This record gives sequence, structure tokens and C-alpha cells, in this order.
Amino acid sequence: MKKMGRRLLSQVSRRAFMQGSAAAVGITFVGGAERSWGAEEKRLNVYNWDTYIGETTLGTFNARTGIVIQYDLYADNEELFAKLKEGNPGYDVIVPSDYMVEDMLTLKKLMPLDHSKIPNIKHLDKAFTNPAYDPGMMHSIPYMWGTIGLGYRKSKVDGPLVSWADVFEPERAKRYSGRIAYLGDMRAVLGCALKYLGYGMNTTNPAEIARARDMLIAAKPHIKTFAEDNGQDLLLSGEVDITMEWSGDIAAVMEEDDDLTYVVPKEGSNVWVDNLCIPTGAPHPENAHNFINFVHDVDVHMEIAETIYFATPNKSAKDRMSPDYTENPAVFASTDVLANCEALLSVGEHTRLYDEAWTAIQAS
Amino acid sequence: MTEATIRPPRRRRSRSEINPLDYLKRPWMQLTLFLSFLFLYFPIVTLVAFSFNDSKRNITWKGFTWKYYEKALNNDSLHDAFVNSMIVAGTSTVVSTALGAMLGLALHRYRFPWKGTYEGVAHLPIVIPEICMGVAMLVFFNAIGMKLSLTTITVSHIAFTIPFVAVVIRARMTGFDVSLEEASRDLGASEWQTFWHVTFPYMIPGLVAGALMAFVLSLDDFVITFFTAGVGSTTFPIKIYSMLRFSVTPEVNAASTVLIVITLSLTLVAMIVQSRWAKGRQQ
Amino acid sequence: MEDWRKNKGAFATFLGPASFWLLVFFVIPLILVWVYSFGERGPQGQTYLALNFENYLRAIEPIHLGIFWKSVWIGAISTAVCLVVGFPVAMGIAFAPSRWKNPLLLIVVLPFFTNLLIRTYAWIAVLRTRGFLNFGIEWTHEKLDGLATLAGFPEAMGDFVPLELLYNQYAVIIGLVYVHLPFLILPLYATLEKLDRSYMEASLDLGAGQWRTFFSVLVPLVMPGIVSGALLVFILSMGNFLVPDLLGGTDSLMIGNLIAREYGAARDWPFGSALSFMIMYPVFIFFVINAMAARYRTHKRAAA
Repeated sequence: MKKMGRRLLSQVSRRAFMQGSAAAVGITFVGGAERSWGAEEKRLNVYNWDTYIGETTLGTFNARTGIVIQYDLYADNEELFAKLKEGNPGYDVIVPSDYMVEDMLTLKKLMPLDHSKIPNIKHLDKAFTNPAYDPGMMHSIPYMWGTIGLGYRKSKVDGPLVSWADVFEPERAKRYSGRIAYLGDMRAVLGCALKYLGYGMNTTNPAEIARARDMLIAAKPHIKTFAEDNGQDLLLSGEVDITMEWSGDIAAVMEEDDDLTYVVPKEGSNVWVDNLCIPTGAPHPENAHNFINFVHDVDVHMEIAETIYFATPNKSAKDRMSPDYTENPAVFASTDVLANCEALLSVGEHTRLYDEAWTAIQAS
Repeated sequence: MTEATIRPPRRRRSRSEINPLDYLKRPWMQLTLFLSFLFLYFPIVTLVAFSFNDSKRNITWKGFTWKYYEKALNNDSLHDAFVNSMIVAGTSTVVSTALGAMLGLALHRYRFPWKGTYEGVAHLPIVIPEICMGVAMLVFFNAIGMKLSLTTITVSHIAFTIPFVAVVIRARMTGFDVSLEEASRDLGASEWQTFWHVTFPYMIPGLVAGALMAFVLSLDDFVITFFTAGVGSTTFPIKIYSMLRFSVTPEVNAASTVLIVITLSLTLVAMIVQSRWAKGRQQ
Repeated sequence: MEDWRKNKGAFATFLGPASFWLLVFFVIPLILVWVYSFGERGPQGQTYLALNFENYLRAIEPIHLGIFWKSVWIGAISTAVCLVVGFPVAMGIAFAPSRWKNPLLLIVVLPFFTNLLIRTYAWIAVLRTRGFLNFGIEWTHEKLDGLATLAGFPEAMGDFVPLELLYNQYAVIIGLVYVHLPFLILPLYATLEKLDRSYMEASLDLGAGQWRTFFSVLVPLVMPGIVSGALLVFILSMGNFLVPDLLGGTDSLMIGNLIAREYGAARDWPFGSALSFMIMYPVFIFFVINAMAARYRTHKRAAA
């Protein structure tokens, strides 16, 4: 019954979208008490990071569809999770990363997506259309992706950096003692250390995690700080010369300082994908589908990618963008580097192994 | 403001020209105050300076610009967040100052069974880690089915600022001469009149201090606010923390500067009005 | 202190509203997380209710006790520094002419109207290797070097080496003092403001010096303000996590950071709750003992 209602509804609003006019919507319940049979009210509640969207994206969407967007902000995946854990406070679109999608799926926090309402997924690069965390993109559509690597100041480092050894091996890190910053994120730092040691990023083997932990503790005297997402600022201000960071952050500072560059070490690293999802209990799922489709419209997507400078999985958009963007090593990692990279997956109850290792590292 | 203390009679002293209790006229006091204010304002001055910096970041000076003020003033989401913060901080300050003052007064004045336990519990909002309280509020509001909104934020802010106000009021009230109240009652004033004309005026400096504290606490709070915020109730701290994933831009510095300038000018106006009024009363 | 039975109406009027608010919007939610502290973490970070003390046992493992202890230390040092910096300010305001008091108070609080995060970032700009403080020192160094060269000692000053001011415990303490200063100044001001200055006059008249008057007359008189301000600063500093995150080095983990991580990345709400209650229990017990001691003293006085 309810399903049929949705299908009917979807036809109405798809037509409305295609005609690109608010007036074309058939029925609008002003009170909006029972939504399943009528067109949705013209509202959409988006929950995303700040400045993680184009400057004109929301305005254009509103102009084309008449839907008013309420854009709210969170600061990281775990906050998003905590906020939705007890129930959806009313969001229609959220942007969780890969492993978070996986956990939210397990907990049935995400609605299945109707691909017929998101025709623009045809623009997506094939590499992204069947992610391990959500086979077949049944509940999530990739939005932006990136890697974790080392941002560094070329003039202060001997030769180009290629390996994690320079920051993880105490003997090698000594050369740059006090000029290195790590991320403050436990899975990211331990994950990269595990990669360097040749293990999997999502290992649940206590011995492997312990080895990574001991190596990090040994390297710690040479580390200046665990940067809370501001490693790029430390690098730009000359506080450190090497910092572990997310790719897009370094890409942004490279524009301001030619002496800075970014590398994904050869041992491999983390590749992450943020995804557009509809949380269970979303009040406006139709508008949400509509919005997700809109975000992957080639022109719209180009504007977003140009503003936020993260790598896009939208191949049609990428093909039309300037080499400044597409050939920037801090935006797009090369394919052979990517081959060594891994996505973070949920480790379930083994999270405690990581948590305890991280406490030991920080407290030592 | 009521001058509750009695000024000591001026006497000539042989030890020094300055009245010994006129600390503000003493060089060591002036030096200490100067250093303390330097400590308070040095970071703020740098913050204001960088709001004019022609760079996306607060790191290197790249020339003077007004553009971030233009941007900040035209940024609707910043504006909304600002207004939301002001609504929450304003409302919660008023309510928590009133409730906290009454609580502080009651704890100061009355002896009652289980008082120790009561005090222990009533002070926990100061001690509880913010995130623990945030989670508790989120679970609670979900359990009772209260929709997250500006109201839930305000309600939570009131709950955690009440004890702060109570602590200040209680510190203020110790040493309050109860005989003043007794005298008032003896002279035929009712309980209410006594409170209003004797006790309340004495409390005022404590109320000002408590209210300022509650306001700063509420305006600054991110963690509890985040967990109790619903659709459309993004506040200033939530906005700023979310920007962290990228970089804090001079736009935020500009917005902060505007807030400081507004507060400063309101203070100046209030001072001028007050001194005119005082002069008028003298004549 | 009066007995509550003497005037039940007034007692209820004063205590009622705040009690109601705290009961509904604090105590009940608190009980929920208290129940969580005996629970278990599910594989995806769900909270399963249970009745086990494993979280508490984990909280008193040596590594966690060490973090508690360190937080207490850093909190204590920050409180002491706060007192040294804040006392003169509170005194200056309290002793200012009365029409200046409120504006001065506002000027002290004004920096705190800017967001905590922004303020902490401002400290980074001041303290970092290429920060304002180091620029200032470098400038002074250059001038002194110039003077030394003029005086015929060109090598006397050596090369300028920027000070490492950021990312260590000192930076954390500076940051904690800075963000918590109003919590000391405001209660202290509220207490100092009412001070009957004739006590100090008397002390001075009787021949005590300024310092002696300060420590034996003024300080005991404003003790309640000092204690409440210091307690607020201590508790808030101990539990802060943002300042150690941003200004601290690799060894700045404090209990607040650990709790934030348990609720965040570790998604272990039960353990996070247990850690939080490990901070709350001692404070609760402190108040109960305090009240019992007060009652005991009153009884003893009544008996004597």
C-alpha cells in the first residue's frame, strides 16, 4: 500500500522535475499531515559538512525546483552517527563516508535508493559504482573521494618523499625530528602504519595492531603533534615540514604555496569516498532523490568540484574540467598508487583494539 | 548599580599620598592589570587583524581587504547561525540567571534534610563532561518524543548553566548580614518586600557576574548544542566547528570582530547614558 | 541558616523552579547515561543494556588512572595560574568607582564572546614558531644584536633560534588559563565587591603592611569567592578536550579527550559513560561529606 503510494508519487514529482517548474506539481498538501499520497512539501533538509558544496548549488536547485533547502552542518562522521543513532531528527540527505555507510546499513539507518530517479548516476566512473561497503550503490551514491597521504615542504625535505618510512620508522623520522605532524584520527594513523608494515588497513589481528602501535610509540619523540584536521595550516605556516593529511586539504594549500606538495606513499594508504544517502525516516525522500540526481548533473557537479577541490567520481564532469584540477596529484592519485590503497571498513567489535592502541600511543 | 558597601571615610595618611585602598592608583596594580589585559586581548587583536587579511587563511599577511566583512555580512547561513546563537544565549541567560539565583539563595539560606545529596546532584552539570551530557539529552529528548529544535537547545543550556549562576550567587551571599532582613521585617515589611528591597539589591553584582557567565557558556557551547540541535537550528559554534574540516577563514574573524564591535559600542552607549542619568539625578 | 520548616512557602518558591528544571532536564537524562555505564557496546556501536561492571573495571586500569592523574595535575596548575592572573583583575574591578564596574566587567568578558575555537586558533597564531611572540622576540634580538655589535661584541648574541612555544604542556596550560579566566574572575568579583573595606582600613591602621593585610585580612574574607572560582576553573580545565587537542603535543591526552573519543570514534557509549561518572562520583561525594561536616559542626556548636 505504502509502496504503491510512493511509486505514484515518484511519477508525479519526476515529471515535475523534468519540466523544471514548481507550478507543474499536481497536488500539494499545505498542511502536509499525510504525505504518502500527495506530492511532498517543497522542502529538503540536507545534513553535510560546511563548505562541502558549490557556492551556487543550493540556489540553483531552489530556482529549478522551488524546493527550499535547509542546510545543516556536522563536523565528522562519528558526530553524524551519534546524532542519528537514536533516530532521524528530520534529515533527508546526509553525506557519510564509506565505513559509516556500511555501519549505518547494518543498523538499517539508510533508505534504499531508487536508481530510476537518479539517472545522472550514468556519469559515474565505473570504479565507483560497486563499492565494497554498499554493493551496487543500493543505498549510497558516491559524492567525492580522496586519499590520505603526506603533504610536505619540498625545500625542507631531502628528495621527494615516497615512503611512510620517513615518518613511521624512528631512525628515519629522526632526520625530521619535531617537524612532522600526524593526523589525530585513530583509524587513519593506525591504518597507515598497518599499511606500511604490510598488513591490511582493517585488520583485526591484535598482534598486527600491537606492532603498529609499538612502532608509532617509538616514532613519537620525533612527532610534533597530532593535528586535528589542521595539518595543512601547520604546513603552510612552517610549523612542520611534513604532515599526514587528507588530500583535498593539501590541494587547497598547494595553491597558495608552490613549495608544498602531496604524495600517497608507495606502501599504500587509505582511499575514502563520501556518499550521498537518504537516512531512514527522511520526511522528503522524493526531494532527496531529486537533489542527489541534481548534484550529479554535469554542470552542477563541475561547479561543486571546482569550489571544494576534492576528487570527483563523476567521470563526465571530470572530463570537462581543467588540467589544473584533473592533473593535480593532491586531488587525483595515480592509478598504480590507488591499486595499493584500501578503504576503511567497519571493524565492528574490534574497534576496541584500535581504541586501546590509540590510548596507549597518546598516553605513552 | 547599587553601592552596597559603605565607603570608608577619607583620612589623611602619612605613609603615602594615595589612599591605601585605592589600589587602582598604585603602579604595581596598574602594571599587573596592564599585563592581564594584554594577556586577555593579545590573541583577540591578532584575530581582528587577520579579519582584514587578503588571504583565505589566517597564516601569512597578504595585504589589507574589506572583502571578508562584505562576505560575512552577505553570508545568510552565517547570519542565521548568529541569530540562532543569540536567541539561545539570550533566552537561556535570562531563565538560568533567575532560576540559578533562586537556587543559590535557597542553598545559602536554608537547612533541609538531604541537603548534601541535593547539592551534590545540583552541581553535577558543572562536572559532567559536555559530551556525556549532550548524549544524555539526545537520548532523553528522543525517549520523550520531543522534536529537536532551538527549544531543546535552550532547555539544555538552561539546565547546565543554572549551577554556575548558583555558585556565584552563593559566593556573593556568604557574609550577607541577616540582621538587615530581620530589621526590615521588624519594621513591618512583608517577606516579599524584604526580599525585593533588602536582599535583591545586595545580590545585583552577583547577578551581573552570573548572567555574564551563563551568556558566555551558552554562546560558546558546541557539544551539548550539537546533540540537541534539530533541523534548521545551526548555531554559530556548530557552523565554525563544521568549517574546521577545511580551514577557518578570515570570514569568521570578521564576524567575530563585528560581534566585539557591537558589544563594545553598546557598552559605551550604556555608559554614556548612565553617566548622564547620574549627572541629571545629582542636579 | 534557617530551618526550611520555618517558612515553607518561601523555601518552596526559591528552591522549587530550579529543582524542577534540573530534575526533568538533567537528572532524568543523567540516569539514562548512568544506566548506560553498566551496558555493553554492540558491534556497530549500539548500546546494549546490561548489568556489568566491566566498564568501571576498565576505567581503573593503570593507563586510564594515569590519564586521570595527569588531568588533575594540569587542572591544578591551570587553576593556580588563573588565580595569579585573575585575582588582580577581579580586585581592580571591585575597587573601581562604581559606575566603572559593569563596563570593566564587560571588557574582561568581551574576548569570550568570540568563539572558543577561534580564540584557541588565535593562540596558535601567537605561539607558533613563526607566530607573533617569536616575531617580537626576534625583533628584540635583532636590536640587541645591533647594540652588541656597536659595543664591539658582534658575536655576543648568537643566532636567533625561535622558541618552541606551541604543542607542549605549557601551551595547554596557557590555553586553559585563557579560556577559563572568566570563571575565576566573575565569582571572585561578586565576592570582592561586597567587601567591607573598614576591615582593611583597620588592619592598615593597626600597623600591618599591605601584603600582610592582603593575606591575613582580604584573602580570608573573600575565601568563598576564591574557592568557588577555583573549583569551577579546576573542574572545567580538567575536563577540557579542545585545548589539549589544538595546542597540545603528542603527550597531551587528557581525560576529556578520552571521553570524547569513547563517545565519538570508539562509539563506546557505555565506557564513555563509565569514565564520565568516574569524574562525577568524587565531586558528588565531596558535596555530601561537606554537608555532613557542616551539619556536624552546627550540632556541636548547638551542644556546646
